[in-house]
Amino acid sequence: MSDKLTTTRRTALKLFGTGAAVLAMPSIIRPRPAWAENGVLNVTTYDKFLPQEFLEKFQKDTGIEVRIRLTDDQGKQYNLLTAEGTNPSTDMVTVAGHRYSQFISSKLLQPLDTGKISNWKNLNTAYQDAPWARIDGNLWGLPILAGYEGLARNVDYVKEAPSWEIMFDPQYKGQTSYIVSDFMTIAMQYLGHDGDFVTYAGKPEIAQKATNEARDLLIKHKDMVRKYYDAGSEVQQMFINEDIYLAHSWSGPAAKLIMDGHPIQLSVPKEGTFGFCYTLNVVNNAPNAENAYKLLDAILASPEVGAAMTRQSGYSSTMNGVADLLNDREKLASTLSQEEVDRIIFFSSINRDMKNEMIDRATAEVKAA
Amino acid sequence: MRNMVSDAPRTTLTAFYWAFILYLLLPLTLMMAMSFKDANFVAFPIGDWTLDWYAKVMQDKQFLEACLYSIMIAAASTLAATTLGTWIAMLIVADGIRGRTIIFALACLPAVVPGMISAISLRIFISTIDMPTGTAAIILGHTVHAVPFVVVMALTRLRSMPRNLVDAARDLGADGVVAFFRVTLPYLGPALFGGMIFCVLLSIDDFVRTFFLGGYRPTLPMLIFAKVQGGMSPEINAMATIVLVVTAAVGLYAEFITRRARTR
Amino acid sequence: MVNSNTIAGDAAGRSASIPKYSTGIARIVNSAIYRHTLGAAVESPIGRVILLAGVPLIWLIMLHIGPIYQMLKISLLSHYPVQPGVESHFTLDNYAIFFRESLYFTPLIKSFIFATAATAATLVVVYPVAYYVAKIVKPEGRSKALLLLLVPFWAGELIRTFSVIMLLANRGAVNVLLREIGLIDRPIPMLYTSFSLGFGLVYLICLYMLLPLYSAIEKIPGQYLDAAADLGAGPFTRFRRIILPLSKDGIVSGCSLVFLTCIGVFATPMLLGGPNTVMFPETISGFFHGASDKWPVGAAFALIMLVTALIAAGIFMRLVGGKKGSAI
Repeated sequence: MSDKLTTTRRTALKLFGTGAAVLAMPSIIRPRPAWAENGVLNVTTYDKFLPQEFLEKFQKDTGIEVRIRLTDDQGKQYNLLTAEGTNPSTDMVTVAGHRYSQFISSKLLQPLDTGKISNWKNLNTAYQDAPWARIDGNLWGLPILAGYEGLARNVDYVKEAPSWEIMFDPQYKGQTSYIVSDFMTIAMQYLGHDGDFVTYAGKPEIAQKATNEARDLLIKHKDMVRKYYDAGSEVQQMFINEDIYLAHSWSGPAAKLIMDGHPIQLSVPKEGTFGFCYTLNVVNNAPNAENAYKLLDAILASPEVGAAMTRQSGYSSTMNGVADLLNDREKLASTLSQEEVDRIIFFSSINRDMKNEMIDRATAEVKAA
Repeated sequence: MRNMVSDAPRTTLTAFYWAFILYLLLPLTLMMAMSFKDANFVAFPIGDWTLDWYAKVMQDKQFLEACLYSIMIAAASTLAATTLGTWIAMLIVADGIRGRTIIFALACLPAVVPGMISAISLRIFISTIDMPTGTAAIILGHTVHAVPFVVVMALTRLRSMPRNLVDAARDLGADGVVAFFRVTLPYLGPALFGGMIFCVLLSIDDFVRTFFLGGYRPTLPMLIFAKVQGGMSPEINAMATIVLVVTAAVGLYAEFITRRARTR
Repeated sequence: MVNSNTIAGDAAGRSASIPKYSTGIARIVNSAIYRHTLGAAVESPIGRVILLAGVPLIWLIMLHIGPIYQMLKISLLSHYPVQPGVESHFTLDNYAIFFRESLYFTPLIKSFIFATAATAATLVVVYPVAYYVAKIVKPEGRSKALLLLLVPFWAGELIRTFSVIMLLANRGAVNVLLREIGLIDRPIPMLYTSFSLGFGLVYLICLYMLLPLYSAIEKIPGQYLDAAADLGAGPFTRFRRIILPLSKDGIVSGCSLVFLTCIGVFATPMLLGGPNTVMFPETISGFFHGASDKWPVGAAFALIMLVTALIAAGIFMRLVGGKKGSAI
C-alpha cells in the first residue's frame, strides 16, 4: 500500500493540488500601495478559512475593511442570497461543488474575470480552466479546495473496502451512515447507472427508472443504516464514538479525522465516485466587487491561506505551494492512488434540473419509507 | 405546612427532584470534562488533560466580543418581547374583547414557524419596509420569535387572577395604568420571570435568524455553529463551560442579593 | 415574586384618599406629563381601548403577520425566486401537492403523533419537579432550587445535544462504564434510537413545561390544601380535586409551548434520532435546503403546518381548559 502511495503520489497530488509545485510559488506577498479608497468587503465563509493574520495584513495593505459572516452550511448562503434578491448584503460567498451550478443558474453569481487576478497562475493548472468550472462560456469562481465523495471506514473493524457493495453487507448491519441524496447518486453508479444524469438529458423515463432502482435499493437496505446524517461534524463524531464503522463521506471531514490520527481510511471504490471543488465567488450585483477581486488575488498570493483552508476543512488545496506548508500526516490524509484518482468524476453542470428534481424526491421517499 | 402533605409523597418528590437534577447535569458534566481533553475531537476516554483550550478561548478576542454582543442582543430583545408579550396577554384577557381566539393564535404564530422559514420571511419583510440589516434587525427578529413565549407564560397567571385584586386597587382610586403596575405586574412576577428566561434562551440559541438579519458581527451561537462545522473540538466545550460557570455565578449572586434585600 | 396576599393587604392598608401613592409612582402619576398623556387616555373610554389594544394589534399585524404574509405570497406562485425569462403566475398547485401525495402527508401525521407523545412525556416527567419546587421547597430555598434547574440550559441547544451524544454513544460514558465494570463486552447501541430521541427531547425541552407549571402551581394558596387535609382528603384526592384543577392554566400553557415547538421548530433533537425519525419540518426544509430548491412548495407546506398545528393546539386548549375556565 505504502509502495503504491509513493510511486503514484505525484500524479495524485497534481489533481488534488497539495503538492507537485508546477509553478514557482511567489515567496512573498507583493507589497501593495495603500489604496486611497476606503472600502469594505463582505465575505460569507467558513470559520478559519481566512486566517486572522492574513486578513489583518490584507486590511493594512489595502485599507479595505473585511467583514466576515460565518456560515455552517450551503443552504443558508443560498437562501440568504435568494431572499436578498438584487441587493445582496454580501460580496463574496463560499460555494461547495454540488451547489455550484445551482448558484449560477439562479443568477446569484457574476462571471469571474480572471484578467483581474494577477496571481491566477498560482492556481494549479488542473483547476485554471476545468471543464466542470466553465458554464455558459464563463468561469464563475476561484476554486480553493478539492474533494470527493469517499467511502470512509474504521480500519480496526473493516480491513478492505474495494466496492460500495460493503455498504449493503449484512455483516455491518446498523453500522453504516450516509447523506441520503449523495449516496443515492452513488447507489446509481453502483447499479451501473449514471448517477450524475449527464447522459440522461432529454430521457426522463430512463432517468426515473434508474433513480427508482437506486431508491428501492436504499429502502430495502434501510436496516444497514445507523443514521442518515447531514453535517460533516456528525459523521466525524459517529466514527469517533464507534457508532458506525462505514460511511459515505465527503473527503474533508474524514480526512480531518485521519490528520488527527484516528484509525480511519478513505477509499474510492471500484464503481467510482464524484469529485467537486469549493469555490470563492463574487456575488451578482456585489456592491464591492472590485475589493472582492483584490481579496481573491491576495489569497492566491498566499499559500498559507490555502494551507489554513486545508487544515480547517480536510480538503486538498488547489493552490501551488501549499504542500510545502503541510506536515506529512496532513499531506497523507488527502492522498489517493492514481487508480483511485482515475475513478473520480467531477460533477458536471449538464442536466442539473432533472437530477436535482429526481434525487430530491427519491430522497424524501427513502426517508419516509 | 407539615400536616399538609404526609411524608411519603414528600420524600418521593424530593428524590424525584434530585433524580431530575442528575439527569440534567450528568451529560453536562461530561461536556465540561471534555473541555480539558488534550485532543482535537471530543471522545472517551479523555486520556491527557490540559488547560490549553481555556487559555485559547480566553485569548480569543472574537469569543469575548461575541459574548458581549449576544448579551446585548438578548437584553434588548428580552425587554421588548416581555413588554409586548405582557401587553398582548392583557389584551387577550381584557373584558369585552372579541376574537380572543384569533388574537391568541396570531400571538402564537411565530413560535410554530420553522427557523429557516422565519428567517427568510423576516429578511424579505425587512427589505419591504426598507429596514437595513444589522443589530436592530436582529433584535427585531429575536423579539418576534420570543413574544409568543411571553404571552403564553403571562396567561398562566392572568387567566386565573383574582378579579378582586384589581377591583380593590381601582376602588382605592388607582387608574387602570397604575393598577396594572401596582397590582397586576407583581402578581405576574413568576410568570414573567419565566417568560424572560425563555426570551434570553431563545435569543442566545438563535443562529439562523441572526445569520439572515445581520451577521457580520458574530454572536455566540454563530461562532459556535461555525466552529462545530469544522469538527467538534474541546474548544467549543471550553466556551460552553465558561458561559455556564459565569451564568451560574451571576445567578447565585443575584439570588443572594435579592434574598438579602428581602430579609432586610 | 411578591405573594398575592401581601399585595392585597398592602392595598387595603393604604389610606382611601384619592391618588396618594408612596414612592416614585406617585411622582410620575402626579406629574403634568402623565396627567396630560396616559392619565388623560385612561380617563376616556376610547383612550382606554387604544391604550390596551393599540400597540398589541399593531405589533401582531405588522410583525406576526407581515413576514408570514411574504411566505403566503410565495406559496401562491409557480416560481420563486423569479428567473429572467420565466413567467411566474398565481397557482394553488403547491398546496395541492400536499394533498395529492401520501409521501408528504405521512410525515405530518408522524410529526403530530410525535409531538403529542413528547408533550405527554414531558408533562409527566416535569410536573412532580415543578410541584416540588413550588410547594414543597420552603420559599427561601425556591430560587436556588429553580436556579439549579435553569443553569444547564445556558450551555445552548447544540452543546446540550452533543452532551447527550457523549453520554449515550457506543463509546459514550454509559457504555464505557458498563464495559469497565464488566457487565457487557459489546457496547449497547443506545444512540440514534427512539430511546435516545425521547431522552434528548425531554432533556432539551423540559424547561418549556417546567416554568409555566411552576408559575401556575406557585400561586395555589396553601390554605386550600390545609383545609382539604383538615376535611380528611388524602394526598391523591387533594392532588386530583385541588392541585390539578388549579394548575390547569400551567398545564395548558406548558403543553402548548412544548407541542408547538416540537411540531414546527425543534430540529436539534433530530440529531439524536435514527433513520426512522423523519418529521415534517425536515420535509419542509428539504424544499429550501435541497438542491432543487422549491421555495413555493416549501412555503405552502409551512403554512399548512402552521394552520394545522395552531388548530390542534386550540382544540387541545378547549378540551383541557374548558369553555368557562379558559379565557381563550
